[in-house]
Parts: sequence; C-alpha cells; structure tokens
Amino acid sequence: MTLKSDWQVVGAPIDPDTDERLFFTDHEWDTIEAATARIIPTDHDPGAREARAVVFIDRYLSGIDYIYAAADGSGFLKISGKFADAWRGRQVEMQKTYRKGIRDLDAVCQQNFDKPFVELDDAVQDQALELFSGAPKPPPVTLGSSEAASTFLQGTFDQGMPFFKALCLHTVQGFYCDPVYGGNKDQVGWKTIGFPGPKSLKDTMDGTYTSLPYFQEDYDWKDLIPHLTEPPEGPPTT
Amino acid sequence: MANVTKPDPVDVVVVGLGACGGTAVKVLCEAGLKVVGFDRGPWLRPEEHYSGDELKYVNRNYLWPDPDLFPRTLRHDEESTAVPFPFSPTPQLVGGGTNHWAGWVPRPRESDFMLRSLHGEIPGASLADWPYRYEDLEPYLTKIEWEFGVSGIAGADKYEPFRSKGYPSPPLRPTRWGTKFYRACKEMGINAFPLPHASVTNDHKGRKPFNNTSFWNQYGDPSTARSNTLTTFIPEAMATGNLDLRAECFVREVKVDKTGRATGVVYVDPNGDEVEQDAEAVILTLGAIESARLLLLSTSAQHPQGLANSSGLVGKNATFHEYLFAGGLFDKDIDDPLYGWTGNYISGGSLQFYDTEEDRGHIGGCIIAASQTCHPINWVFPGRPAWGSALKDADRTFFNWAMKIGLILHDLPVEKNRVDLDPTHKDAWGLPVARITHKPHPNDVAMGKWQVDKNAEILETAGARKIIPVYLEEMTGNTCHQHGTARMGFDPATSVLNEWGQTHDVDNVFVLDGSGFPTATGVNPTLTMMAHTWRCAEYLTENYAKGRAEHLSPAR
Repeated sequence: MTLKSDWQVVGAPIDPDTDERLFFTDHEWDTIEAATARIIPTDHDPGAREARAVVFIDRYLSGIDYIYAAADGSGFLKISGKFADAWRGRQVEMQKTYRKGIRDLDAVCQQNFDKPFVELDDAVQDQALELFSGAPKPPPVTLGSSEAASTFLQGTFDQGMPFFKALCLHTVQGFYCDPVYGGNKDQVGWKTIGFPGPKSLKDTMDGTYTSLPYFQEDYDWKDLIPHLTEPPEGPPTT
Repeated sequence: MANVTKPDPVDVVVVGLGACGGTAVKVLCEAGLKVVGFDRGPWLRPEEHYSGDELKYVNRNYLWPDPDLFPRTLRHDEESTAVPFPFSPTPQLVGGGTNHWAGWVPRPRESDFMLRSLHGEIPGASLADWPYRYEDLEPYLTKIEWEFGVSGIAGADKYEPFRSKGYPSPPLRPTRWGTKFYRACKEMGINAFPLPHASVTNDHKGRKPFNNTSFWNQYGDPSTARSNTLTTFIPEAMATGNLDLRAECFVREVKVDKTGRATGVVYVDPNGDEVEQDAEAVILTLGAIESARLLLLSTSAQHPQGLANSSGLVGKNATFHEYLFAGGLFDKDIDDPLYGWTGNYISGGSLQFYDTEEDRGHIGGCIIAASQTCHPINWVFPGRPAWGSALKDADRTFFNWAMKIGLILHDLPVEKNRVDLDPTHKDAWGLPVARITHKPHPNDVAMGKWQVDKNAEILETAGARKIIPVYLEEMTGNTCHQHGTARMGFDPATSVLNEWGQTHDVDNVFVLDGSGFPTATGVNPTLTMMAHTWRCAEYLTENYAKGRAEHLSPAR
C-alpha cells in the first residue's frame, strides 16, 4: 500500500474558467451558481459567481481527486488505502445531499413561486432561501453590543451537514480558498476583504511570501512590558 | 495475509511518537538503548509536505484525525448514549500535535503540584497532589527549552517561579493586535509579556526559521521555525542509529507473559499484517485518551480489567482544558487595522490571574493570551452571518479589524469524567473506540465565566466596539490537551503510575505522556509533559535499565 507520506502528486491546478461539469448536471450547475451568488452576492466587489465557487464545488463533489492540493499547488494528492475508502464514502453521501437538496429547493420554489430557483430574480431567490432554510436572511452586524456564544472546535468539517449549511460553507470556501482548488479566481475573495495572500502555495514553502509588513513596525519591549526593568537575558531581541 | 517474519527483540518499544514519544526516543537512544518507535500516522517531510493551504488543514483534516478512521464518541452524562464526535482531535502522526500546534509553552507554577494540599477536599472533584514538586521538574523544563527550542524573554513574567536559565531564542516581534493587548494591559496594571513559544527566531542548533507566513496554528511548518519533535528530537534519535521508526503501524495490544509482565506489542503494519514486536520494556506515549484506550484494550487473564488497572482508575479523572475567549470587533472607519490573521498565533499573554484569589468565587486560575483570529475561510467570529450581504459586509468590514483574548481553562479532575471503551462504535481496525464522558465541574464553569469577562474588560480598554464572550457549556476538547487518565501517586490503590510514570502493577510498562498528571495545570501542558517524559525516561535509562529502583518520599 502507498503510505500517506508517499502520496503521489497528480493532475494540475483546477482551471476556474472551465465550463466542463464533472459532477453537476447543467441544471444543477446553474442552480448552484445562482445560489452561491445569493450567499456571497456581487456588489461593488466581485462575489461568489466571479470567484467561480461553482467550479470549486463541482470539483470537490466529483470524487476524491480534488481533496488535498499538493503542498506546492502543482496538482493534487492521490489519496490511498483506508483514507481513500473513507473519503469515497463521505463524498457519496455529500453527492446525495446536494442532489436531493437541489430537488428540494426547486420544489419549494415551484410551490411558492411557480418556477424553479434559477428562474427567479434575486430578491425572490432570497425569499426562497429563507423559506427553504427556515430562518430569516441574516441581518447586518452592528457595533456597540455584546453577544455571547459557547465554545466550539477549531476545525470545520462538512461531514453530515444538511444541504443549505454545507452549501454556505462550500461557497465561503470557494470564495476564499487557495486558487488551486478552482475558486477564489484571481484572488478576488482575498482582495475583497483585504487579505494579502500568497501568489502561490509554493511561495509559502520557501520564504518568498512574508506577512511581516503587517506586524507592529515600531516597538520597544520595555515600553510594552513595564515589569521588564533589567535588560533581557540571553540573546538580544530582534 | 502474508507471513511476516517476527522482528528481533529490542530494549524498548515506544508507542506514539508525538511530543512525549519524540522526547522518550531521544533520551533512550542517546543513552544507547535499542528502540522501536511506532506511530499509527505517517512520517511526513515538512519541507516537501507543508504549506499555507487553509482548506487542507482547517477544513479537510490533512493533519486532524480522519473522523471515520479514528472516531471517538462523546456523552455529557452517565445515562446518555455516546455519539460520534471528534473530541480532542490531536493529530496522529510522527511529531503528533507538535506538527500543527500554536506552541504556547509557559511553565507550570508551584501551586500546580500541590492543589490538594492547598485546597483540601473540593466537593465533586478528585484533587490530588503530584508525587513530585516544581523544583524536581525545573532542570527538565530548562532542558526542553534549550534542546527543543523555545523563544521568550526571561524576567518578563512577573509571576514565574525560579528558572535556572533564560531562553535560547528571542521572541517574534509583536503583531498589531498583540500591541493593542500589551497597551491595554499596561493601562490596567496587568503584567503582559510574550508568552514562551515553541519556535525559534534565530539559528539555534543550526535551524533556519524562515517561515513568516502567519500560516501557523493548525498548519504544518515547512521551515524549522516551529519546534516540532518531527524535525528536532526524532532526527536526533535517528542519528544515534538506535531508533527503528515504524510509521503507519497501528499498535493494538500490549502483550504479557504468564506472570503478567509485558513482553512487547502486537501491531498491524501498513499491509494489514499483524506483527509482534518483543521488548524488555514498553512505553506508551499516545496521549491520555489513546494511552488509556490501549491499556483498556490490553486485557488478559492476568489483567482482566485492562493492563495496569488493578485500581480500576485507568481512564478516570480525565481533564481536557478548553479554549475559551472574548472576541472584539473594531470600527473600520475610525480604528487602525489590526490584521488579526498575522503572527504565529500568540502575541502577548499573562499569568496574573493564575493562583487562587478568594474573591473571584472559584479556586485556581489560568493563563490568558491574545491570539490570532486566523484565515479568511474560517476566521474566528462567532455570530458571523451565514449568508447574504450581511456575510459579505461583515467579512469586508471586520476581517482586518478583529482580535481575541483567550484562556486555557484549568478544569478540575472529577472521577466520573473519563475515557473508556465504547460498547458499539469501532475504528477502521475493528477495535472499540475511546468514549469520552465529561461534565464540567461547577468550578470550571465559574472560572471560565470570570476569566472570559476579564478578557472582555481588557478588550474594552483596548477600544473594541463589539464584544463576543465565548463561555463554557460543554467540553469539545478544542485544545487537544489531554491528562489524568492514569494518574501518578504513591498509593497503588488510588493511582495507576508512580512518580516515574511506571505502572504500579507491571514494572516494565511506563506511560509517559499527560496521562499521569493528577491535575490539569492552568497552562498549556506540552512543555510540562515533555519535561516529565525526559525526567522519567532518564530514570529508566539510569536506574531501571540497570536493575535499580529509587523512590521519592511521600512525606517530604
């Protein structure tokens, strides 16, 4: 068996401009593209549509060929053994979640608006998503208040998520992922929020990419740490 | 299955090559013992395998355990049926959690070793003193700081106990959000300083720490900035010629002879073949959940309740910490950007609230630290709108205008909080998975509330315009810290291990990870664990292997 440490690099970065569908039917593709455009809408900045979130989601759902990019972004890792079995099983479940989710969404739209989702205009699509998700469209975040939450895990994994929750997560992923995965085309997601990400994954491996310009520029440890009256022991601080 | 030739016996088998197993193999191999080290996960090559890919590390479990292959179950009380949940998902691979960790490595305090003496019987808790004291561990804390690589400024922590030496590396420079924290603390009279960090910024021991990407917490580091046993202690052990490292091998049982002594382990190799490896001694360093599980899986006529479990305490008194925090949003139109995604996760912390103060309404206390709000997909904003223009506006307005101040909850040991074998769920090798039963002690909830509110006060002083306090309801194991499942002590009736991490029941089985910690401490545990491992492994090489036994006096 190929060890995880020896997983081969195969394929190439996903072309965000591709029109080829690996998983979705044409109707499913159009529906998901329209829904992602309501999840992260286009305004004076690009949205999920321009970031090609639909390409990202189609490739992800297509099987296990686009799960992990190679570290340098040159292609994808060929998952082996038990890991491959586990991923295959999960992808089959997520494919079912999407297929059924799209049908259910269209059913809600037909029932309430006499048209499938993709044929509704933006405002009605929002209403449809409210009906479908059973919750109102999220209101804007306001300052000047305090809202408590309870503790959670660090990682967010999509296993077992219901359709709309998964679609929201995957749209965010398609907007902000490294472009090797087919979304965040031309880094439009990163540019929208002011994240100066690396040009390529490879640049994060060899010191080419640095975030130091965004650190504190002028500082003096003795000013920041009043307790530090003596010069620090050991090597000089940088 | 093919026939596999039984490998030659060795001096010691070490199961689990993370922070503690990495330390154990270094000490044992450098002392000349022949060691086979096992890890169920891969032996990755950081310079080839690691980069700043958020999706891969944070959303798709490249390092986190695959939840279908390595499941765990969780329940919050005795009566409920546990359900699958990735509780305390410490990465399982060579280097373990030191591959992905933020790397906070503060020292414990003197009080951590004597909570029972200080506080007596606390209802609902099972407080116990450690069998040794801070001063016993101090030389080993120093060894780890220098051999493994820790950056910090000696003398900056007003509350630190005695240290025999400074740090080998200066800290990374502060982030902008870290500076906000320092300034607010200064205004409030709180002693803030760069928390000791498992990373180097200089060429300590020939390292080349070029990684300034801010892809840090949860990511692998392709450079040697991060102190990771995969890139430090394990290569040092390999260099002795005494370590045979077998990765992607799953140890399923510790074998015993007719007298109940361990003879080695049974493992499943990457081809699925079952192999026996004999050894004079067996060291478990799988982390407190999996070490307890392996003891409980290793039943025999001589050990019907599981190996080294005559006390019935294996798995009990488990403590897990929990990361809680207060988040703060600033105003893009008025405030300077904070760039919350920058830094190597921590930038400024304090231990001012560590030791008990009666008027807080709880005993003990814990470390606090300002820390990174992470990257675009998963940036830390509880209450982030799920979709629509509210989501896009929130990301655009606050991604660079957010910070948080967290804490590591010092949870009290409770005997019923435990790890045992799940009666129904199995892993990918067909073995029962670890079931976690955990309900926080009221002191945990009170401490979390008090400290989160204090952190919110610091954020207000720093100028935050919206505060999001994140409190404890139920444990998720989000710190990956695990302790207590085989507590150390002098009395075999009330503890599993002695002061050297050696099981009371079986003299050639040692458990040298956090399993032995009688109490959790209120600091990130890895420095303490590694120092503990070094101390115990040194006992093994200098006394046990030479046929000598030595014990501390309980009456000191």
